[in-house]
Amino acid sequence: MSKQAYEFNNSNPNATVLRRLDPMVIEKPRAPIHIHTYGGETPFFKGLTEGRLMATKCANGKCDPSGKEGYFHLPPRVYCPDCSEKMEWHDVTDLARRTAKVHTHITVERPGAFNRVPMPCELISVEIEGVATVIMSQLRGAKPEIGMPIQPEFNTTNPTFTILDLSWVPRR
Amino acid sequence: MIKFTNRNLAAPKQMRPVYVVAAGQSDFRKHYPEKKTEELCVEAFRMMALENNLKTSGIQELKGYIHSCYYGHFADHFGDQLLGESVIHDRLGLDPMGNVGIKTGGATGGSAMWMAANAIASGYSDCVLCMGWERMDEVDTWTGNHYISTAADKDFETELGHIYTGYYALMAQRYWKTFGKSAPSFRRTMSKIAVKNRGYACSNPFAQAPARISVEDVENSPIVADPLRFYDACLMSVGASCALLCDEETAYKLSDNPMRFWIAGGSHTLRTADRRHMEIPLLPNERDNKEIAKLYHELKGGDKGGGEKYPGFTGFLAARMAAHYAYEMTGIVDPITDLDLVELHDAFTISDIQTYEDIGIKPYSRGPEYIESGDAYLEVPRDGSFGKNLAGKRGRLPSNLSGGLIGCMHAVGATGIMQIAEVFWQLQNRWSYFHEREEMWTRFGKTKPKDFVNLQVPNAKRGLAISHAGVGSHVTCSILMHPSAVIKK
Repeated sequence: MSKQAYEFNNSNPNATVLRRLDPMVIEKPRAPIHIHTYGGETPFFKGLTEGRLMATKCANGKCDPSGKEGYFHLPPRVYCPDCSEKMEWHDVTDLARRTAKVHTHITVERPGAFNRVPMPCELISVEIEGVATVIMSQLRGAKPEIGMPIQPEFNTTNPTFTILDLSWVPRR
Repeated sequence: MIKFTNRNLAAPKQMRPVYVVAAGQSDFRKHYPEKKTEELCVEAFRMMALENNLKTSGIQELKGYIHSCYYGHFADHFGDQLLGESVIHDRLGLDPMGNVGIKTGGATGGSAMWMAANAIASGYSDCVLCMGWERMDEVDTWTGNHYISTAADKDFETELGHIYTGYYALMAQRYWKTFGKSAPSFRRTMSKIAVKNRGYACSNPFAQAPARISVEDVENSPIVADPLRFYDACLMSVGASCALLCDEETAYKLSDNPMRFWIAGGSHTLRTADRRHMEIPLLPNERDNKEIAKLYHELKGGDKGGGEKYPGFTGFLAARMAAHYAYEMTGIVDPITDLDLVELHDAFTISDIQTYEDIGIKPYSRGPEYIESGDAYLEVPRDGSFGKNLAGKRGRLPSNLSGGLIGCMHAVGATGIMQIAEVFWQLQNRWSYFHEREEMWTRFGKTKPKDFVNLQVPNAKRGLAISHAGVGSHVTCSILMHPSAVIKK
């Protein structure tokens, strides 16, 4: 982020600045704080801080296809997208260590404002066996390629309590 | 494997015909400090009321027809005004008629038209206003990118760089490496789209980013998110567009030249992560087609499997569904032969190619052929980018003659309505009135370029417009037809 953009977004909240006289254009700075809950998805974010990757699975054997096909959802869902019953939580850390690979990837060089990821950032979508979905995350320590085997890493020492606590490295 | 029922897939019904009767828009700019959003909306409304050959004595008589209003404004945080619909409604002087705000990301304009059309089709109103607008210049570009990134999942995606282009590019990269085979020729096709749409914008006085550029210019422009470069991406804009929709009786009371209108919407997950796989829902020109069956079997990896899953990261299911519903409603079988022009949601050159496949212009994996065949041009360029056998020929289905989102604008809430307005004026044979006259250029403080090209499609009778949100979360498909050229009676 450029210095100018930083200052623009973090000015003295009390200051109104005249930018232009005609047409009259003013600067209206603000820095609000949102109080946000993870609610029923808490086990996932708590899991990251404990070094565990938590996914959900539909336990309703009659549910088509989530329950019948018995696959995991990651990102997790509190309720099944098909039968709308509550889903069960499962630790898929080992499964991810054994089977995860890069589905697609991209290098982000210019982030939007408020970004906290060090740039450039290797953004990846992650395929895991038995998981119906393809979670978005970040790869560290290597240039990604489609099909590259990877394993999860967790920021447990100084967690941000966000999705950034999960990242991936090439499988060792 | 997700499945759909026949009830899910049933053709939508209009209980009575819907017509587009008039349209209007402001010009579009990256920054527009000279005018407030309200002024831009009133200016679009004035154009709609006064410059569409309506058989009314003026604006006040027209206001006497309007029964309800449908407003497309996507981003409250960009505009920094909740209930902006009420502000616009007040400035238009349309109290106490009911109004409602509609927001579906990039498809907001299309969705507003969808709801407006349903109000006519159901009999609720005989005459409605659909107006869309966006103001994206109150914050700097990087705060703007952050705002747009909050249209991704805020817990699972936005934190990853606060940059929507990156989330889109994950799909682009997959398409580029699988269907595109990372080939220079595929990169060249993407570049041709950027050149085409910026070039068409040169003949559009409303357009924000007209430019005569070359394929080399595109390929030398800075990388935003590989393989997407600066010239591959759409604009951020300020501006407004509107349209008047009526039932048949009111349409002909107000105009001698209204156009029939159908619109349908599809959806798909906000998170790219949650794209579960399914069989490809086939469009009319793909059913009972052995060549298509073979191609789609091969895309899945043949008998062994292991190929691309559908829709995976290569297709937009929402666009396919919107086209399915719209073609079922109207009787369109083959878009290339049944339509005369299209306005597509070219958020990025690569997603434009993906959309050719989703709406059946070309089969999945073969989208680039639409550009390379020359069919996407009004006249195939003679600049050496096409072979001698094609250069100068007329394309069968010109695309984005407005300049699209890459050359004209992406004032989000207005975009889908702008596309429909451009198709509408083409079918009315009134493109020249809104684009060619000197007065239209001086009105916006511009000089008509010396290399202006007349882009009226000769004898155009049917057109299509796609409005698209997110990484494919919402898509509407609009079909306009001259009443003499309706397919399904």
